[in-house]
Amino acid sequence: MASWSSLPTRLARRCLTRDPVTLFRQFIVRALVRDPRRSLATVAGLTLGVAVVIAIRLANAGSIRGFEAALDVVAGQTSLEIVGAGVGVPDGQLEHLGWLRDYGLVSPLIARTARLRAPDGTEQPLQVLGIDVLRDRPFREYQLVEFARGGRDPSAQELLALLLDSRSVVLTERFATRHGIELGSAVELVIGDRVHDALVRGLLLDEGPARVVDGQLALLDVAVAQLLFDRIGWLDRVEIQLHDATAIDEAEQAIAARLPDGLRVQRPAQRGRQVEKMLAAFHFNLTALSYIALVVGLFLVYNTVAVSVISRRREIGTLRALGATRRRLLGLFLGEAALLAGLGTAVGVPAGWLLAQGAIALTSTTVNALYITSAATVPPLAWFDLLLAGGVAIPLALAAAAIPALEGARVTPIAAVRGADRFASDQRQRMGRVALVAAVLFGLAGWLSTLDPVGGLPLYGLGAALAVIGGGAALVPLLLTWLRRVGRRAFVRWFKVEGMLAHANLSASVGRLTVSVAALVVSLAMLAAIAIMVGSFRDTVTYWVGQTLRADLFVSAAGRGPAGPSPTISSDAERRVAAHPSVVAIDQFQSVDLPYGADGDLIILGAGNFEVLLEHGGLLFKEPESGRDAMARAVGADAVVVSEAFALKQRVAVGETIALETPQGARPFRVEAIYYDYSSDRGLVVMDRSTFERHYGAQRPAGLTVYLDPAADPVTVREELLAGLGPDHRLFINTNATLRAEVLRIFDATFAITYALEAIAIFVAIMGVATTLLTLVLERREELAMLRLVGAGRAQIRRMVVLEAAMLGVVSQALGLAVGVVLSVILIYVINVQSFGWTIQFDLPIWFLVRSTVLVAVATAVAGLYPARVATGFAGTGAR
Amino acid sequence: MSGLLVVLRGRARTVWTTVGALLMCGLVPGLTAQAPRSTTADGWRLAAPDYALQFPRDHGSHPEYRIEWWYYTGNLEAADSRRFGYQVTFFRIGVDPAPTNPSRWAVRDLHMAHLAVTDISTTQHMTAERFDRGGVGWAGASERTLDVWNGDWRAELDGEAHRLRAADGSFGVDLRLEAGKPPTLHGDEGLSRKGAEPGNASHYYSMTRMPTTGQLRLDGELIDVTGASWMDHEFGTTFLEPGQVGWDWFSLQLDDGTDLMIYEFRRGDGAPDDFSSGTWVGATGAVTRLDRTQFMLVPGRRWSSPTSGAAYPVEWRVEVPSRQAELTVEALVDAQELDTANSTGVTYWEGAVTVRGRIGEREIQGRGYLEMTGYVGRPMSEVFR
Repeated sequence: MASWSSLPTRLARRCLTRDPVTLFRQFIVRALVRDPRRSLATVAGLTLGVAVVIAIRLANAGSIRGFEAALDVVAGQTSLEIVGAGVGVPDGQLEHLGWLRDYGLVSPLIARTARLRAPDGTEQPLQVLGIDVLRDRPFREYQLVEFARGGRDPSAQELLALLLDSRSVVLTERFATRHGIELGSAVELVIGDRVHDALVRGLLLDEGPARVVDGQLALLDVAVAQLLFDRIGWLDRVEIQLHDATAIDEAEQAIAARLPDGLRVQRPAQRGRQVEKMLAAFHFNLTALSYIALVVGLFLVYNTVAVSVISRRREIGTLRALGATRRRLLGLFLGEAALLAGLGTAVGVPAGWLLAQGAIALTSTTVNALYITSAATVPPLAWFDLLLAGGVAIPLALAAAAIPALEGARVTPIAAVRGADRFASDQRQRMGRVALVAAVLFGLAGWLSTLDPVGGLPLYGLGAALAVIGGGAALVPLLLTWLRRVGRRAFVRWFKVEGMLAHANLSASVGRLTVSVAALVVSLAMLAAIAIMVGSFRDTVTYWVGQTLRADLFVSAAGRGPAGPSPTISSDAERRVAAHPSVVAIDQFQSVDLPYGADGDLIILGAGNFEVLLEHGGLLFKEPESGRDAMARAVGADAVVVSEAFALKQRVAVGETIALETPQGARPFRVEAIYYDYSSDRGLVVMDRSTFERHYGAQRPAGLTVYLDPAADPVTVREELLAGLGPDHRLFINTNATLRAEVLRIFDATFAITYALEAIAIFVAIMGVATTLLTLVLERREELAMLRLVGAGRAQIRRMVVLEAAMLGVVSQALGLAVGVVLSVILIYVINVQSFGWTIQFDLPIWFLVRSTVLVAVATAVAGLYPARVATGFAGTGAR
Repeated sequence: MSGLLVVLRGRARTVWTTVGALLMCGLVPGLTAQAPRSTTADGWRLAAPDYALQFPRDHGSHPEYRIEWWYYTGNLEAADSRRFGYQVTFFRIGVDPAPTNPSRWAVRDLHMAHLAVTDISTTQHMTAERFDRGGVGWAGASERTLDVWNGDWRAELDGEAHRLRAADGSFGVDLRLEAGKPPTLHGDEGLSRKGAEPGNASHYYSMTRMPTTGQLRLDGELIDVTGASWMDHEFGTTFLEPGQVGWDWFSLQLDDGTDLMIYEFRRGDGAPDDFSSGTWVGATGAVTRLDRTQFMLVPGRRWSSPTSGAAYPVEWRVEVPSRQAELTVEALVDAQELDTANSTGVTYWEGAVTVRGRIGEREIQGRGYLEMTGYVGRPMSEVFR
């Protein structure tokens, strides 16, 4: 360390006059290289921050990309599509849609997902297209391996001959190769609860549509698809390829005007937009969270540049004395920040991509559980990512470095050489102003909390959260000042002379500590807030599950499709379940996606047997109090009960009438009650099954809830039911207990990434504290040596520094908890309500908070070990 | 006759196996004494002598038979003497007489249609095709009377007349065909045998001279036209036998009022097949059957298709010695080939022809249509196997 200060004067002069680059190398780079651990820590911190931001961006993009890839392959050359109200387009309508041929080619489509059991024993999800090859060929190009070898495309007739048999399936070459499937192989298709034997009659060449979903694509004839997916009489949509693709706007309007009630025309991309919209709130909150890691990383830059300035006051003085301008010095330190940030970005972007691989597993668990099933893959890095990271991280790093860099540049030569100057003067006079800032920020937070969301996103809520964080950070100097005044006695009593010294050291450096402690406080506050929010949410969900899940068995089929069609329970399986002697009642549950309102938000339309629910079930009603009576009124009537999220987002109250699209056109339904639901933030509208069938036709249910004779053992009945199904059926049957566990598992998986992000932020923040302490230690070289001279032991010095670190940790945690509670209130009552529309009962997870406090104290103490070692080093050698 | 070429290959394979099985049954003593089977193993009815054609019911569809077509061809003329040929064909190909899948998309029948218009003066030949499954109403045919459609292409009865509409983009026809002569029943009371095996036959009749008026659309221009059309309607389940490589089919309308239909199967060795035959329809409607020994077809000049490479004889000598008829048939335009890659996948020649020659001492002229198959791609007998 000593050599830092002896910059040869001749060299300095040469550098100053001729070569700023050499000066930068000598003055900044060499110093960074000399102390690789600190430099690495800074770069690592920034890398982590940048990586987290990039990882979340990529993971978010990836989770919709999987869906969009599926969308692309399905859309092909489709310009427009006709869709029905929730349940699809009835076959019977097609005869009346002959006029569509005036606009373009018309093709029916069933687009669903299934699973395939390959000969290699694995089970794979597949995007399944049920097509009419006679109509479909202009929409999607199909090249079959066996025909490609002969150098030609199959004719429509040849394709048809391949698909016509109800056992025929066409897979992709890529998929087949991966799973040891050959032309003619027997495979099993698992659709809903049924297992079908199928023969691979064709393999699509590994190009075009076959490639988009990584080969997870299967073709069936539309008739076979209707049969296997229990969709006899219905299409998922009818596609149109316009004769004149340029006149798409006119065609869309003209077709919309001619379509009968119950059918809509839209562009294929609209489905992608609906899904994006569905995920927007989730992605927005995740992105906001990811930036915290970056912000914390910036504190490290601040620290490093501060250390750089502090440890070389003498050189600064020398340079100034030799004629270096302030501007040049400022440039040097900003250059240092830019170098660090540049390195952090350069490493952080690819690191982010790697992190995204892990993050996507976490987020897509969430996205799958909440929204869609799709093959989520991390998109490749684009220049945009580097630009985004560099464009955000480097300017912010420069801004963070500007504070100490300006301080450094302001050093007068004489003061620096004498050592009379001390970095960051006492800020006591500023305390009044700081208190005012904190008060204003908290006030602002309160006001922002009352504002409505913007486009379904809690922008003002986030603003309120930021204001609280800012207010909390502003409290840090006040807290440290207060600690200086009142803490001494306690420190002395508990930690003897080391405590006294530690307290004295901290008291003397309030200004220096403020920024690092603020960073830690912010991270801890976020952690506390999220812990409180998630804990409260979990308790609420647990209670809700306990109240709502009353049935003994829950029967469902495998695998939900992209944003919509649920697999169905066959009548055969339902009969077998109903025939079990212990079964008392069955509620068939149905759910379809339905666009609602002017914005076409995708809501979930559910149908259940209200009489069974009234007798056995247990919905939790928010309004009216006599929810059960309200539900009884809805039996068989054009009436619905809606979830809280629906009521909130669509601004609907009990007693009002809402218009729902049905195959016969929009129909009015009276809202009888609002109930609590945490299964989806999209909003649920539920009607009695008889009402549903009256409007939407008889559809197979997506699930069964089964009520058993109280004397029966659900586990035994479950096993008996499964054993009685035979190899051609496969059902998922949860008992009440396993479903509850599953709900909570999904819940925890959903928030796993939240905690992961927070852990990173706290790690970075603790590193910040460590580097700050290092700064302080470096500043106090002489004092530490003096302490040794007057008889302090190495152990005492080490204890002192570790104590300082732990004290900072505890103080930060204390303030962090307080701010965190306020933040959690905003998360629960503002951001959550605006993003998801759920009522969460506030609940403090005391044990978690106690545990985390201890953990933070220990972690910061451990982080203090390195500066402590440096300190004992000074003390030992008696440096300067 | 012409519709033979559209038999669906995939299904034909099983049908042929069935026929093979039937033949073997025939070898078993005891079974030979029984009457020929009336249906195939997969449930299609075989053409048999016990069927009496009645109209207008038999203009309609016969879904119990596997294959059926309605073939309209004609020579038309505009007021300014411009001449045109046209062809509108509807095919119904049975796939499964009783699909177990209750879906309306389950394929019982496939419906194909071909449209061709030839502008003789510019030698322009335009074609279009349609291919749909029945069931959801996009294509179909009535069983009660003439009403067969594919998308917006349609042939239906309007009183005694046939209304024919088909258009694709810039070209099409919208015609009214008067009945003209009564239906001509080919073969034995409408049972037209195509092979040695009794079931290999079809029910076949023609409306040989239908006075036609209406409009033709050409490059968006509407042209009033008059002329004469020929309608073939044929249905059955099994037709061709091995060795029948292709056929040449003539429908000729002579200016003395005589109409002549002749088809000749070509065998692999180039010799005509024994089951070739024809029908002579006198001006008054008197029908005479011509067997293979009663006519002679001699191919002349050939035209090679630049797209398919097939060499079609576009000039023929047609002789019917019993009638002292010696006729020369010439294509009005050489390039009247259809490539139906998107439906049947079969490439064939079908076009307007002119007729010159003599019957006895009398100079004769006429018009007509010629169809030639099996000149490119797989032999028709293989298409059937």
